[in-house]
Amino acid sequence: MGKKQKQKQKIVLPPDLPPEIPDDEVEVSDEDLQFVKENRGYASLLSTLDTQSITKHVTRVADAKEDALEKLYEERSRKSALKKEKEEPGLQVDRVDALPIKTLDGKLHYRTATKKEEPENGPGEEETGEDGDADKGLFKLTKAEKRAKLKKLRKEEKKQGKDVAKVEVQETPQAAVLAEVKAELTAEEAFESKKRKLAELGDALLTDPESNIKFLKEMLQISKDSDPIIVKLGLLSLLAVFKDIVPGYRIRLPTEKELEMKVSKTVRKMRYYESTLLSVYKGYLQRLMALEKKPLFQHVAVRCICALLDANPHFNFRESLLDATVRNISSINEAIRKVCCSTVKSLFTNEGKHGGEATVEAVRLIADHVKAHNCQMHPDSVEVFLSLSFYEDLGKSEKADEDQKNKYKKNKKRKNSEASNQLLENDRKKSRKELISKTREEVEADYKAASFTPDVTEQRQMQSETLSAVFETYFRILKHTMQSIAARPEANSGALSAPVESHPLLAPCLKGLGKFAHLIDLDFMGDLMNHLKILASGSSNPGSPTEKCPKCLSVSERLQCCIVAFKVMRNNLDALNVDLQDFSVHLYNLIVEYRPGRDQGEVLAEALKIMLCDDKQHDMQKTAAFIKRLATLSLCFGSPESMAALVTVKNLLQKNVKCRSLLENDIGGGSVAGTIPRYLPYSTDPNLSGALASVLWELNLLSKHYHPAISTMASGISSMAVANNQLLLSKSSPQQAFKDLSLELELSFPQSSSLKLNNKRRKTNVSATSPSIGSTAVTSSFDEDELRRKLGSHFTILHDIKENERLRSELDMTAQSLQLYEQYKKQKKQRSKPRSKLSAVAK
Amino acid sequence: MRPLDEKETTVVFEKLFKFVGNNLKNIVENPSHEGPDSTPGRYCFRLHKNKIYYSSESIVKRATNVSRSNLVSVGTCIGKYTHAGNFHLTVQALSLLASNAKHKVWLKPQSEMGFLYGNHVLKSAIGRITENIAPGDGVVVFSMSDVPLGFGVAAKSTQDCRKLDPNAIVVLHQADLGEYLRMEDDL
Repeated sequence: MGKKQKQKQKIVLPPDLPPEIPDDEVEVSDEDLQFVKENRGYASLLSTLDTQSITKHVTRVADAKEDALEKLYEERSRKSALKKEKEEPGLQVDRVDALPIKTLDGKLHYRTATKKEEPENGPGEEETGEDGDADKGLFKLTKAEKRAKLKKLRKEEKKQGKDVAKVEVQETPQAAVLAEVKAELTAEEAFESKKRKLAELGDALLTDPESNIKFLKEMLQISKDSDPIIVKLGLLSLLAVFKDIVPGYRIRLPTEKELEMKVSKTVRKMRYYESTLLSVYKGYLQRLMALEKKPLFQHVAVRCICALLDANPHFNFRESLLDATVRNISSINEAIRKVCCSTVKSLFTNEGKHGGEATVEAVRLIADHVKAHNCQMHPDSVEVFLSLSFYEDLGKSEKADEDQKNKYKKNKKRKNSEASNQLLENDRKKSRKELISKTREEVEADYKAASFTPDVTEQRQMQSETLSAVFETYFRILKHTMQSIAARPEANSGALSAPVESHPLLAPCLKGLGKFAHLIDLDFMGDLMNHLKILASGSSNPGSPTEKCPKCLSVSERLQCCIVAFKVMRNNLDALNVDLQDFSVHLYNLIVEYRPGRDQGEVLAEALKIMLCDDKQHDMQKTAAFIKRLATLSLCFGSPESMAALVTVKNLLQKNVKCRSLLENDIGGGSVAGTIPRYLPYSTDPNLSGALASVLWELNLLSKHYHPAISTMASGISSMAVANNQLLLSKSSPQQAFKDLSLELELSFPQSSSLKLNNKRRKTNVSATSPSIGSTAVTSSFDEDELRRKLGSHFTILHDIKENERLRSELDMTAQSLQLYEQYKKQKKQRSKPRSKLSAVAK
Repeated sequence: MRPLDEKETTVVFEKLFKFVGNNLKNIVENPSHEGPDSTPGRYCFRLHKNKIYYSSESIVKRATNVSRSNLVSVGTCIGKYTHAGNFHLTVQALSLLASNAKHKVWLKPQSEMGFLYGNHVLKSAIGRITENIAPGDGVVVFSMSDVPLGFGVAAKSTQDCRKLDPNAIVVLHQADLGEYLRMEDDL
């Protein structure tokens, strides 16, 4: 009779079978009989089939799923209840009323005729409960909301109606099968309903966040579901809601003292709203942090975290968000990494949202991260620094302010002294003055607070903090690279199989140094230059550049070091023109080591542009040496590189008139040759190569180059000596020339196979210029290996085919010869046969 | 005329090393094409009457025919011993130093004259400077068109030069081309 009891029973495992009451024991009343007669078919089906199905279920307990089991038990209990209802004498079931009602907390209430109190009780309780909730919520339901709620209730009722209908439908002969189907269906339905509920809650929150704030908790509850899809949906919908309703200020929870104070209704409402929002937000973040560690949810969680951080960098708990973002910034998963990087970048670029505090924190965190990982991270994680921006005029304006202040002070002093000279006229006047100044100060303070102009000094401080963190990271990376290089020779002497420590962060670090070169403190400059010099030389002891260590920095990286050094120097001129002799020496040697396929032509072109073309003064010897070397090597470079080299040569020759003696056919260089009477092509120092004593015979060869642009350029250069001095300064830079030609190369010869191969390489190079030097170097070397392997296999196949052909032709030949021989034999026989015949005939 | 002894050699080489650094090797090992010999010989250092000469071996060999009192000079004079026994480089060594110089300073055209009159190089006069100069290093002074003008000793490092007062001394004068006129008799 107690339906609740039945429901409780279902929790106990294993459940009791419905009491099998022998038919004799049942007291059958007349009414009962009549009822059974009326509903014979129905009842008979029940009595015959139910036990079977139940026994089946009981036997299947072992391998069935828990959810399914639970449902089955529920059904069973329901069925048995129905059965009892039918058998019990006093029960009159109203069909319509028999539909159970599901309350918001998921309990099923059955309306029956016998228990008249219950149906009244159930809804009543519900209502009171709701009222209580409403009271708790400290607000009254608005009309619209009431309507919405009513609608929702109705919908739920309908749903339950469907449920029951299904239950009834299911009570057919194939109940066992249908039960399973139904389990699936209910699962789907639950999923659907949850989804719908999420949507409804979210919608309600978005339409009126102030009054519906408690729905947030429900949503959070849903997002703790066991179904991963529901969890994901919950997280994402919560994200959408939070993105919309998080206020534009930081919420400060009221202190206890404040809580004790009496406040107006609106304030209390507001406080409730804020505290709920904050607590749910906190719970949501905790959930996100927990899920972020699980691989299944990692992507969603990180996405949510990043979106939240991007949308509300000013809000509470920013630290934990930032922490999670930075933690994932060098993730192996590319999607996650991209999301994190873009978030951090947007943090850096939209500083107005959070006033720069988040920038400082993020940079600090990244710096710590780099330190913790010992510089073994993905280059993206440091590349985000490139989107930082610093305002230089901040300092200037501040200085101006200070100057002005000083002036004021002086004025004041003078005034004061004047005033002191005069006798105090009267106190009233003085006090009035004080009052005026006081009010003025107050007004100023108010104005400052209201105008939202960021405090200059504060901003400056933040900027300097950011800068110091950035440079700390950069210097750490440089140092780490240095150490790894220094450690290598020793490792080599010990064992060749020493673990190859890569330096993935070097490329973005160098890029960043180039970009922020003008902000480096002069005190660091010396150290920085030394580091770069050692890196550019490629070995730990700069004295012996010829010593080769196999795992040195690649040529591109070393070129990049030189470029950065030049950039740093150029940006910190301070009216002092410093000549970076050592770096030019490195460049001079690196040009020889450059390989068109392996290294990036872009970098070489940039180096030529920055180190040779942009530099105004050069020693004659050095310039001549560079001209000679570039001309020589442009004979063996690919056309884009040689074009870049020739543009540089032209540029140098235009600027240095004396070097044009190279163009004259006068071996020995005449008087300008200096103390070195002969050209030494293997010299490592451009100043001592004696290039002025040589002749640029390469131009003559280059003017017969297959590429028309190069040949015209070469002949143009060689005619420079004859032409007058006022040649048009060529505007094209080596970089531009390189780009043009490499593009042209890609476009022009798509057919011929050898060039195609070249193209392919170049394409990979060009496409991969931005990400990192190291990786491309690796890929290109990998490419080479692969190529070699492929070519090898190709050749073996070709060889096999040739061999096969040869063998087959031999076989054919032998077969043919055999055939011929047989024919010959046959003919011989035939010839002999007639002869024998003839002889026989003759006989 | 005699070869330098151990002590003299170290003194001379130390002095040269300040200016040319590792390029000292080039100075010593360069093949010489001077003299009538067909095969290139070497350069060597000789001491004659307090002066140090840098000369090719073939010329030195032939100079032995001249008596000590009659021999005025052989090869290039690069320095001399003072009465106090110190070694000084003289302006004639300039071309040798300039072609192997490690540290260089280029002067602005308007301040070349000041240096050629025997004054120190001021910060305001510098048009260009190589990096990594330490105080005490030997510095060769050039004009902006790469003509060697003289040499001296660095008073300040390159780093310090940046923040220096325009009138501060960067290079202390040792020798300049003007000496060919001013001290014609002494050289």
